[in-house]
Amino acid sequence: MDHSSRLSDPGTTWVVDDVASLATKIRLRAVQMIAPQGFGYLGQALSAAEQVASVFGHARPGLDRLVCSPGHYIVAPFAAAVELGLMEEADLGRYGQDGSPIEAIGTERSPVVDYTCGSLGQGLSAAVGLALGDRFNGNEARTYALLSDGEMQEGQLWEAALFAAHHRLSAVTALLDANNSQVDGPVDTITTLDPITDKWESFGWRAIEVDGHDDVAIGAALDQAAHTTDRPTVLVCRTSTVHGLDCLPDDADGHFIKLPPDLAAKALAELTDRLEHQGA
Amino acid sequence: MLEPPFPTVLKPYGRALVDLAAARPEILCLSGDLTKQCEVDLFQERFPDRFIHAGMAEANMMSMAGALARQGFIPYVHTFGVFATRRPLDQVVNAIAYPALPVRIIGFMPGVSSPGGPSHQAIEDVALMRALPNMTVVDVGDSEEIAQVVPAIADLPGPVYLRLKRGEIPTVFEPGHRLSLSAVHTVADGGDVVLVTSGMMLPVTLQAAATLREAGADVGVVHVPVIKPLDRDGVLRAARRAAGVVTVENHSIIGGLGSAVAEVLAEEGVPARLRRVGIADTFAEGAKSGPYLFEKYGLSTQHVVDAAWSLLGRPGRPPQTRTLQVDKGEYAPV
Repeated sequence: MDHSSRLSDPGTTWVVDDVASLATKIRLRAVQMIAPQGFGYLGQALSAAEQVASVFGHARPGLDRLVCSPGHYIVAPFAAAVELGLMEEADLGRYGQDGSPIEAIGTERSPVVDYTCGSLGQGLSAAVGLALGDRFNGNEARTYALLSDGEMQEGQLWEAALFAAHHRLSAVTALLDANNSQVDGPVDTITTLDPITDKWESFGWRAIEVDGHDDVAIGAALDQAAHTTDRPTVLVCRTSTVHGLDCLPDDADGHFIKLPPDLAAKALAELTDRLEHQGA
Repeated sequence: MLEPPFPTVLKPYGRALVDLAAARPEILCLSGDLTKQCEVDLFQERFPDRFIHAGMAEANMMSMAGALARQGFIPYVHTFGVFATRRPLDQVVNAIAYPALPVRIIGFMPGVSSPGGPSHQAIEDVALMRALPNMTVVDVGDSEEIAQVVPAIADLPGPVYLRLKRGEIPTVFEPGHRLSLSAVHTVADGGDVVLVTSGMMLPVTLQAAATLREAGADVGVVHVPVIKPLDRDGVLRAARRAAGVVTVENHSIIGGLGSAVAEVLAEEGVPARLRRVGIADTFAEGAKSGPYLFEKYGLSTQHVVDAAWSLLGRPGRPPQTRTLQVDKGEYAPV
């Protein structure tokens, strides 16, 4: 797979009619991708659906960039891309399969995004490097970086945060998915990250805390970011890895959700039904 | 080849990078808080708009360099070898080597040329970089080769790790010497033993060869400026002619030039016996001077002579090398 369908590639186009229903469609497409395997990174799509839908709603096609720092989240941009015609519907069935370039953890072969990496904590540096390159080149692009709260444990994230603030790289907008989930359990049982916004503000960023499942709030914050010209902005998006899928059991492991066929069928029915109510 | 003691040139790398950048606007310079030490104060002065202080943040520096390369730039990234390889290895892998981006990683102070102790001594940088797919690994021999390698690597596909000594650099090759990135440089053929070296060990190796020849041995010398991809044919040609091969490197004997040569000899069934002169799988130590460490960790001219002599099967003690007196601005092997 080449990168011909990257958001920032000249000529790439898409239209988002309604961010809320796109978020539901992201959940639906993610279920379709993960169901054939019976388990996978569904929780990441569930927590990030509104953020990813909002980025696609705000980004300027053929100009702005998307970095998906945690490669495990790539399912969500893929889901949006299929829905918006940037990937083929047939690609859904190739997700994570042997020999497929549509890998479950993002790689250099991953379409849609400008950058992703399975080794965590590196994406903000890439976003900063891309934004710095855009500044050198006189390119007005904005770089959106999806980050996860667990990545705040990696020192490199703070190296990048310091650099971006020092250089006032206002073209960088980070969306931090604060879903309080990492492999070993809830993030706050492993390290205390809060107060998250205070940390970013003290590093010189504009930090805006929002309900990460409220697409209107995310949209307003992205507008604020776009009008901030003296520093980079981070949206601290409070989310849940089981949001928007009521049929999941209470004890579902948000990092790696089990999705046997009967549960997948229930999930598809629930999401299809919701889409009808959203009028999409 | 010139004769020791060799004349020296100050900051040949820093000057060559300025010359290259003057002709190539896509050259960027990143520095990890070691700007003068990596000779790029010259670049910063001349091209401040293309100079990036990354600070003491090597992980971020490597990831940013990869992203800048995606934007069409050719970033030259500068720090000491230890901080360019062992510290940000995962970033070099994921942001640079795997996507095969044209980032030039310049690691200064190879092996025990730094008296700064194990934290500052890059004794496994070649091993780490050599193991990465797509990575070219370069360790040139003198000031003339440094001047040539800076533009020579600019347009190589994929990333490059360039290992460099800083400051006052000896000129070993005569004017008109042409650095090749594809072929080893055969200084001399020899039937008894061939000394295979890279980087700053060239003067030591030449001096060892002279000592052995005075004792009647037929000694070849091969200089290997590019350790990966290795010119296998060049190494084989020299090794097949000789009864013994001695590799000489300012690096651990594990994973560097010695290992690369051993792999070729073993795969091709070359019968020549092999000795590896280098840092013998040990961490070194801090000291006042580099020469002390070269003696202590087995990298002196006499160590090379002894290793070669052990392969020759001749009676008697190995010949003894002479110590050369040097004046200011000159360089002689330890």
